[in-house]
Amino acid sequence: MKKSSKVLLVILALAVLYIPILIICFLSFNDSLRPYEFSGFTLKWYSEIFAEKTLYEAIINSWIIALFATAISTICGTFIAIRISKLKQKHRQTVMFLNNLPIVNADIVTGISLMIIFSILGLHFGKYTMLLAHIFFCIPFVVLSVLPRLKMMDENSYDAARDLGCTHLQAVFKVIIPAIKVGIISGALIAFTMSIDDFIISYYTTGDGFSNFSTWIYSRLNRRSFSPAAYAYNTIITFGLLIILIYINLNSKGDNKHEKKH
Amino acid sequence: MKTRNISLPLYLIWLFVLVFIPFLIMLFLSFTKTRGLDFSHLVFSLDNFKDILDPIYFDAYVNSIVLSAIASLLCLLIGYPVAYILTNLKSNKLKNILLAMFILPMWSNMLLRIIGWEILFNPHSILNSIGISFDLIGSPLAIIIGMVSTYLPLMIFPIYTSLNKLESSLLEASYDLGASKFQTFKSVILPLSLPGIYSGLTMTFLPSATNFALPERLSGGNINLLGNIINSNFGKSFNYGFGSLLSVILISVIFVLVFFINRKDKDGDLLL
Repeated sequence: MKKSSKVLLVILALAVLYIPILIICFLSFNDSLRPYEFSGFTLKWYSEIFAEKTLYEAIINSWIIALFATAISTICGTFIAIRISKLKQKHRQTVMFLNNLPIVNADIVTGISLMIIFSILGLHFGKYTMLLAHIFFCIPFVVLSVLPRLKMMDENSYDAARDLGCTHLQAVFKVIIPAIKVGIISGALIAFTMSIDDFIISYYTTGDGFSNFSTWIYSRLNRRSFSPAAYAYNTIITFGLLIILIYINLNSKGDNKHEKKH
Repeated sequence: MKTRNISLPLYLIWLFVLVFIPFLIMLFLSFTKTRGLDFSHLVFSLDNFKDILDPIYFDAYVNSIVLSAIASLLCLLIGYPVAYILTNLKSNKLKNILLAMFILPMWSNMLLRIIGWEILFNPHSILNSIGISFDLIGSPLAIIIGMVSTYLPLMIFPIYTSLNKLESSLLEASYDLGASKFQTFKSVILPLSLPGIYSGLTMTFLPSATNFALPERLSGGNINLLGNIINSNFGKSFNYGFGSLLSVILISVIFVLVFFINRKDKDGDLLL
C-alpha cells in the first residue's frame, strides 16, 4: 500500500467514528434547544449538567454502577481465571466456551434473560438488579483478559512459592497476581468501558425509577425533558479522556505491552 | 495440586442460573401464549411458530441479515487494512495514540453517537447553514453507516490482536523463500489472521442485527430489525411467547457461532 492511501484509510476510519461525536460536541455549545439551528455559542449546558437534577443523578448512578461492577467483576474474574488456567486443555476449552457465551450473546437476549430470571427469583428491580446484571456481563471480559497472562506465566512459580513456605493465598497474592497485573488492569478497563456505556441490558434490568446515563437519554428522546446538558457531559468525558490518553502517551517511554485491549 | 479455590464451581452455577435457566424458560414460553410472566393463565399453543412465518416479519428478518451483513463486511474492508497499518507502524508513540483514538469512541455514549448521525441525516439540519442537506433518515444507507460507525472498533481490535501475534520470523521465512509481498499476505498473513476476522465479523454482525435503538432512530420507525421485534414483544405487547421464540432461535445461532470460534481460537483471547 502507498503511504498516502494508508493515511487516507486511517482518516476515513477515524471520520466514520468521530463525525457523530463532533456533532454532539458542536451541539453542546449551541444556544438553541433545537438540534437543526445554531443560534449562538453558549456554555450554559455545561452548568446545566449540575442543575438538571435527574440527569446529574443518572450520571452519578452510571459511575457508581460501573465502579462497583468493575471492582467486583475484576476480583471474581481474576480468581476464576486462575482456577481455569489450572484445568486441562479440554476442560479449559469447555469452560471458556461457557464463559464466552455472554460476551457474544446479543445484548437484548442477555437483558431479557436476566429480566426473566430476576422476576422469577422475585428480585426488586432497581439499582441492585442493574448492578447484578453489569457484574454478570463484566466477569467474562475480565476472565478473557486475565487468562492469556496466566498462560504466559511460568507454571512452576506457584509451586516454588509454596515450596518456599507460602500459603496458597500468599502464593496467589505475592506471585501470581503481580505476574498477571497487566491482564487484570486491562480486564478492569474493559469491564468499566462496557458498564458505563451499557444501554440495552440496563434498560431491561432496571426499575423503580433508577436510571443510568443511557436509559436517561433513551427515556427522554424527542421529549421536552431532554436537555442538551447530556451532550455537554458526553463531550467532557470523550475529549477529556482523549487529552489524558494523549498526554500519558507522550510522556511514557513507548511501553507497548498493554496495547491490544479495547 | 490441592487448592481451596471454589470460584470455578460457583461461576458455573452462576452461569447456569443466569444463562441456562432463562434459556429453558424462554424455550418453554415459546410453546405458550402468555401475557408477561403470568404463569397462571398460561395456554399451550404452537401459534408462535405460525406467527414467525407471518410475512409481516419477513422484512425484518431480511433487513437484519442483509443490512448487518453489509455493515460488517464494510467494517472488515475498513477494519482489516487499518488493523494491518496499526500493527506495522514503526513509531510506538503514534501507534499508541492511534489505538487510543480507536478505543475512545466507545467512551462516548452509544445512543448519543446514533443521535449524532440522526441529526446529520435529517434534511433540516445544522448543515443547512453551509449549504448541505441530507435526506437519509429511513434509508438503509443511514442504518448501515450508523452500524459501521458504532461497531467498527469491534472489528479492528480482534484483527489487530491476531496480526500482532504473528511471528516476524514467519514473514522473513516467506520472503527468503522468494514469495512476493502479495503472496506472503495471501498465504501467510491472511490465513493466520482468520480467527481475528471471524471474531470481528461476529462482534459486528450480531450487535448490528439485534440493536433496537439504532434502527429506531435512524429509520424513523420505518425499518425494523430483529431487535425491534423482540423488544416490542417484550416491551410493548407483553407477548413473551413470541419474543421468547425469536430469542431462542437467536441464541441457537449464537451458540453455534461461539462453538465455531472456540474451535478456531485455542488461546481463547480473540474476542477482545
